[in-house]
Amino acid sequence: MRVPILKQGPYLIASIQDALTDEDLAQLQQELVARVGQYRTRGVIIDVAALDVMDSFASRTLRDLAHAIKLRGARTVIVGIQPDVAFSMVRLGLSLVGADTALDLEDGLALLEQHV
Amino acid sequence: MADQTRPSVTLALMREMGLTEETLARRKAFLELRDEDSERLRGLHDLAQQYAERVIEDFYAHLLSFEESKKFFTDPVVLARVKAAQKQYFLRLTQGHYDAAYVEDRLRIGVAHERIDLPIELYLSAYNFYLRTVMKHFVEAYGNHPEQVIPLFLSLLKLVFFDMGLATETYLFQRERTIREQQEAIREISTPVLPLRERLLLLPIIGAIDSPRAQQITTQLLHGIRTHRAKVVVMDITGVPTVDSAIANHLLQTVQAARLMGAIVIVSGLSPEVAHALVRLGVDLGTVQTVGTLQDGIEAAEQLLGYAVHKVESATADRPVERS
Repeated sequence: MRVPILKQGPYLIASIQDALTDEDLAQLQQELVARVGQYRTRGVIIDVAALDVMDSFASRTLRDLAHAIKLRGARTVIVGIQPDVAFSMVRLGLSLVGADTALDLEDGLALLEQHV
Repeated sequence: MADQTRPSVTLALMREMGLTEETLARRKAFLELRDEDSERLRGLHDLAQQYAERVIEDFYAHLLSFEESKKFFTDPVVLARVKAAQKQYFLRLTQGHYDAAYVEDRLRIGVAHERIDLPIELYLSAYNFYLRTVMKHFVEAYGNHPEQVIPLFLSLLKLVFFDMGLATETYLFQRERTIREQQEAIREISTPVLPLRERLLLLPIIGAIDSPRAQQITTQLLHGIRTHRAKVVVMDITGVPTVDSAIANHLLQTVQAARLMGAIVIVSGLSPEVAHALVRLGVDLGTVQTVGTLQDGIEAAEQLLGYAVHKVESATADRPVERS
């Protein structure tokens, strides 16, 4: 399933609606990193509220993505991590170092407004 | 639907205790309580009817000679009723068909005794008394023929142990249920999540934290963040007497999980004992914002959220209290 990427002012918003395969994730990563340069994007928000699980591959991809986007001059915020997902990620020792996190899209946008 | 009677309390209890046809069959197999025992006991029934009255009288004379058992039978009406019930109970032992209905009957009696708090040792001594008295009657009836008396007695012994198992388990099960219900009640009231200001939650924790409670705190906290859209949570552990390394790590993980959800957790109220213990255990809380008191915690949280609290000069609390 492809993830739609929306442009909102200086920000890009990718809202994941369904469980993603590893290929989908890899594709999302490439697409986002490419688009960041295209629109002079200053911030990227990835909404993962629909995800019930976050495995090590997914969290590593998100981390790499955030690093790559940073190298392209923008900031990444992961929003909407569910309570159970958050705790199992910590349990498994998965972290999202390099990416900011926020409660939901609204908070994510507010965070970018503040820092960018 | 007239033929579908409502399942009684004891039937429900049997289900809860997992007493099904299969498990009952296994219990009997453990005791080697077989069909031939059932037959043998049925053959005893006539004799049992003859000695039943005497066994009961002896038994209650014995019971009433002790202060602690006497107090259960002060009312003569109750005593007569109990004696009649006891006689039925003893007679049922020699009627065969030790099936689910038999077990249900036995549980009902166990529940009744548990309800009046009859001590379990009285219960067990009753079985013992019964076996000893019955042995005397056997010898009287069969004279000096151990080859007849012993198999009969052994069959009875198996059945009585079957009954004892059921009775004691009913006791234990009822008490465990009480404990479970109380634990449930404690859990429900133990970790409230309180919205203190817009996007600020307070999570006061009072009392010792064990592993299930730690998990419950995590769930309450993380779901509370989502429900109240919290940005900052003050977790106050002033009322927590001790923290071990497992619990400390669990709390640490909770704080990290909250951060993944975009919320900051401030832990307040670390008592000197808890602080020493954490240092001794080598738990690294360096990544967690900790403050000494709840007041500090709330002030820090308000600062993070951009709240500033000012004292108004003409505060109501400063005025003398008006008397009406």
